[in-house]
Amino acid sequence: MSHYEEVKVHGYDEFCKAVSERKGNDIFAYFSGDIDTQGLSWCPDCVKAEPIVRGEMSHLPEGSVFFYCQVGERPYWKDPNNEFKKTLKLSGVPTLIRYGTPQKLVEEECFKADLVRMMFTED
Amino acid sequence: LKDIQLNIEWHGIWFVTGTFDYDLVVIGGGSGGLACSKEAAQLGQKVAVLDYVEPSVKGTKWGIGGTCVNVGCIPKKLMHQAALLGTALKDAQKYEQWKPAVQNHVRSLNWGHRVQLQDKEVKYLNVKGSLLDEHTVKGSTRTGKEIMLTAKNIVIATGGRPKYPTHIPGAVEHGITSDDIFWLKESPGKTLVVGASYVALECAGFLTGIGLETTVMVRSIPLRGFDQQMAGLVTDYMEAYGTKFSWRSVPKSVDKLSSGVLQVTWTDEQTGKDQRDTFDSVLWAVGRAPETKTLGLEKVGVKLNKESGKILVAADESTSVPNIYAFGDIGEGRPELTPTAIKAGKLLARRLAGQTNELMNYDNVATTVFTPLEYGCVGLSEEEAESRHGKDSIEVYHAFYKPLEFTVAERDASQCYIKVVCKRGGDQRILGLHFTGPNAGEVTQGFAMGFQCGATLTHLKETVGIHPTCAEELTKVNVSKRSGLDATVTGC
Repeated sequence: MSHYEEVKVHGYDEFCKAVSERKGNDIFAYFSGDIDTQGLSWCPDCVKAEPIVRGEMSHLPEGSVFFYCQVGERPYWKDPNNEFKKTLKLSGVPTLIRYGTPQKLVEEECFKADLVRMMFTED
Repeated sequence: LKDIQLNIEWHGIWFVTGTFDYDLVVIGGGSGGLACSKEAAQLGQKVAVLDYVEPSVKGTKWGIGGTCVNVGCIPKKLMHQAALLGTALKDAQKYEQWKPAVQNHVRSLNWGHRVQLQDKEVKYLNVKGSLLDEHTVKGSTRTGKEIMLTAKNIVIATGGRPKYPTHIPGAVEHGITSDDIFWLKESPGKTLVVGASYVALECAGFLTGIGLETTVMVRSIPLRGFDQQMAGLVTDYMEAYGTKFSWRSVPKSVDKLSSGVLQVTWTDEQTGKDQRDTFDSVLWAVGRAPETKTLGLEKVGVKLNKESGKILVAADESTSVPNIYAFGDIGEGRPELTPTAIKAGKLLARRLAGQTNELMNYDNVATTVFTPLEYGCVGLSEEEAESRHGKDSIEVYHAFYKPLEFTVAERDASQCYIKVVCKRGGDQRILGLHFTGPNAGEVTQGFAMGFQCGATLTHLKETVGIHPTCAEELTKVNVSKRSGLDATVTGC
């Protein structure tokens, strides 16, 4: 029984709905390109970052919520007007954010275990 | 006594093996400290940076980044922008609306610094550093825990904090400073700003711009150290645009009334009489004091300037103790500016890593005061030029111009002015350049490079202006003060 809750969502609407249901919690969100049936993403950086991010999840604060959000297929992501880019202002995948704060790690920053740990443990 | 014995033995061991915990420990994670530690780490040094914010009297504290990021340049410029927009749109943005935007940006900068430090493998410790000896730094956490670090070299970059006029009854209990103005829970309301430094004028300027009734209380002259003619134009503009000024006034006491408002009593030096008025907030902007008291400097032998309390430093930022350096606002005689601290910090790191012998050049530094009418300058004031060269050896060219932007808005441009102070004769080397007007910082930056290259009036006149801009008026300046001719620029 882990001290945090992992919520898997797919797409912008599902993400927003799930977040609104958990207001008041410490929320972290990891955005990745869609995973195929073999469990691999079209986004090579996401494939590289995921095990590193997962490796640090034991450091998540007690009672926090970790959203694993698949953003969509590659063409959807490449469209500069997709909702993630327009409204959440995401610039790339993978992106790891601490919702409600300016704290974020983008692309290669997610490869660094110590940066991921810093986000999970910093105030 | 037992602890001291342990230390002595410990240092015997250190000197024998010659290893320290770190190559460099930097005390102070502000503009200077961060630049120095990141540069040193990049050059392969093992670095730790200690940053700790002693809460202000009102309890305000902030994250890494120092004064500039948290309670200085950055929030100041954002509020200045808010005020300019508020004035332009005649729909004053309220403090409550701007606060979250400003604070979010500052927090993103705090985070950015944390990521960079981690990335460059600089050890960051949120502890209050003090010197135990020339190679040992003690760090105290907020909860009182202590850690020790040993370092080959120690750099002090702890900066300064606003002064409180402790001799004025009620000043400490009821007043705030620039440490607090960007982080208040509620709007400061009707505010009295005491002081005439750029901090005082900039704060009063943006408070007026966001629609708050603001008064500036000045004891003698505005912007001491700056060209006084230009300072007068800055304050004239502020007065014309709604900031009240109480000249030649010295505050006597601050009392809190039962309604919660603050009653300030001051002496009008011209009449000798006492005056009284009420305000929601009183902001003290009466100078900044260096953060040296709790550093343990005396014990280790780091010499200070008795008057200012700042650390005495040589051209290479070294102190009276061989491996201890100090720079930034904490250094005696240094400009209290972010860019000079950053550059000095980087050069110091490079010298300590043995990469260069280059010293920081503190001359010809351009600055800008971000008052409602901005004032940018580089070089000497007219008074300073007169004093150094003699009135007969200088030629002052000037012009009153009107920004095109003001025409549309029907704004009064009487204080938009340019002054180029030159050495008389020959190509007339430029000694000082002064500009009041919109975007003064942007205008002045380019000319500062020319100044650094030894620009003359001939160079200036040979430069073709960009049209239509305010900056081009600098290239067209040709009326001297000596001629007595009208310096108003006519249309294009």
